[in-house]
Amino acid sequence: MDTPFWAKVHGAVVHFPVALSLCSAALDAAGFALASRPAAPELHRGGRLAMIAGTLGAMPVVVSGLMMTRGELLGHGLLRWHHLFAWPACGLLAALAGWRTVAGPCPPRRALGAYLACALVAAGLVAAAGYWGGELMLAGAPP
Amino acid sequence: MKRWREAGAPALAGLAAAGLAAAVVLGGAAGLAAALRARAARASQQEPEAPPWWTPAGPAPPARVARGRTLFLHSCAHCHGLDARGDEGPDLHGLEVSDRYIANTIRRGIKGEMPSFARKHGPADVSALLAYVRSLRAD
Repeated sequence: MDTPFWAKVHGAVVHFPVALSLCSAALDAAGFALASRPAAPELHRGGRLAMIAGTLGAMPVVVSGLMMTRGELLGHGLLRWHHLFAWPACGLLAALAGWRTVAGPCPPRRALGAYLACALVAAGLVAAAGYWGGELMLAGAPP
Repeated sequence: MKRWREAGAPALAGLAAAGLAAAVVLGGAAGLAAALRARAARASQQEPEAPPWWTPAGPAPPARVARGRTLFLHSCAHCHGLDARGDEGPDLHGLEVSDRYIANTIRRGIKGEMPSFARKHGPADVSALLAYVRSLRAD
């Protein structure tokens, strides 16, 4: 397969994990803030499922990205900036999903606080990776 | 001790799962990247290819040049320009590289710069494209 095909696949699948991971953090933050409300466990269940689905959805993104760059893990220029945020985001999302899978939908509040802090960092990394990904696309587009 | 075990075991299991998941994802990505880089290196222009699969250089018949121009307009002109004077891609007039290099570049592309056309164009097409590119004289 040629590079433009994988570029199209990458563009098509990249938005799912971005949206799901950000949605997961938002749901868990809402559940954390509304801990005394009956809806809190449901919010955490939704957050957990969204995080696991987002991480699973990141797999085709990783594969298509590597196919597109023919195995370039860092690269140079804008691609390097994209990767400098994308790889930590990917690792952190996988770690968060792994923890969430084992810890269950409603982990202890203190642990959930630490989880939310990490999810916030992951959201920032995802956003930065997305920003540099957009810059990469604009760099190849006509003015 | 028992209480610590009761409280600590799930936390440790969670951390282990987190570390394992991150290691699997990043390790898998690194492994795939290494395999892809190795494949790209094998397919790069630096490594010689045994059998010549394109038509050797020589005076190209006008029909082949014309066919090459048609293929060029379909596959190459959007980057190299309609007149092959260069746009996003370089000017192709008066190239001072071997026929083999040009054929390999068409077939395999250039990492990060030009896609491979191996699936789109077979040896006959590449020969025609080569004939057309060779017909472009430098001014």
